[in-house]
Amino acid sequence: MIIEFIAMNGYGLYVWLSFSVVLVSCAVVYYKTKKTLKKYEKEFLVELETLSLSEKNKALKNSKIAQQILSANSKIS
Amino acid sequence: MFSFFSPSNIYSTIQRLIKFINSIFFLVLIIGLTFALVFSPPDYIQGDSVRIMYVHVPSAWLGLACFSFITLLSVFNFIFKIKNFYFINKCIAPIGLLFTCLAIITGSLWGQPTWGTWWAWDARLTSMFVLMLFYIFYILVFKIIRKEELAIKISSIVAILGSINLPIIKYSVEWWSTLHQPASIKITGSSAIHSTMLLPLMAMLFVFVLYAALIFLMKYKTEIIRIKKKNIKRI
Repeated sequence: MIIEFIAMNGYGLYVWLSFSVVLVSCAVVYYKTKKTLKKYEKEFLVELETLSLSEKNKALKNSKIAQQILSANSKIS
Repeated sequence: MFSFFSPSNIYSTIQRLIKFINSIFFLVLIIGLTFALVFSPPDYIQGDSVRIMYVHVPSAWLGLACFSFITLLSVFNFIFKIKNFYFINKCIAPIGLLFTCLAIITGSLWGQPTWGTWWAWDARLTSMFVLMLFYIFYILVFKIIRKEELAIKISSIVAILGSINLPIIKYSVEWWSTLHQPASIKITGSSAIHSTMLLPLMAMLFVFVLYAALIFLMKYKTEIIRIKKKNIKRI
């Protein structure tokens, strides 16, 4: 039964190859997008650290996004 | 009205949406795949090769939908000069390119057992290939041109020119005699697809839409962080 399911009446190669191509491509794009997002979050935090204390406090006070990135990354680490 | 679309306002919503989609995605994917590969019946002519439809059709629809959306936002950008639309388009374009490529590849894999050939320069296939080229041009514009204002203008022109191809793709199977079959699903009028195949198709379409939304949100979040990083001293 399993062999029949895999064989798909002789169309197994085309069907499984189609689904595999889609799943692998989507997984690669997801992984790359996530990696880029993490990279930019890290770079943002590094940039934030280069500011003086008063500048950093001002940036955190004025930007909700900066606060959220900082809190999300401090949870991870 | 458009202040709702400002990056700072929607950042937290994006984070919540990403978490929500991540939490349900695998369940929806497994349901979709089970319907597509197990529960749906084989076609009486094409046999089990018809299952390729469940990845081919949603890919093609999303490839077309993404470009339609890019065109619409490009036109709005021309009229209202809202830079945020450009950033949204920048995030959508790679997703559209991915789905267009997948539609072409899976179409080719479906074509071999059905038509006996991997590729034919017929109207539908060629117009999809042209769409892929337009996506590549569109992405290349903001990869090559560093001046943002110029990139916005040229990419909008590429999008508007590329939109001419969209009705050609849609009606190519009616206007010309092609290897590709005519549309089985019609918004107006009755569809030529049985509900036992329509349901898995809709389930897979939902999976693809969720995936596209997830990638878009992640890309858009990256874009917001990139802009904030660039202007960090001005915050």
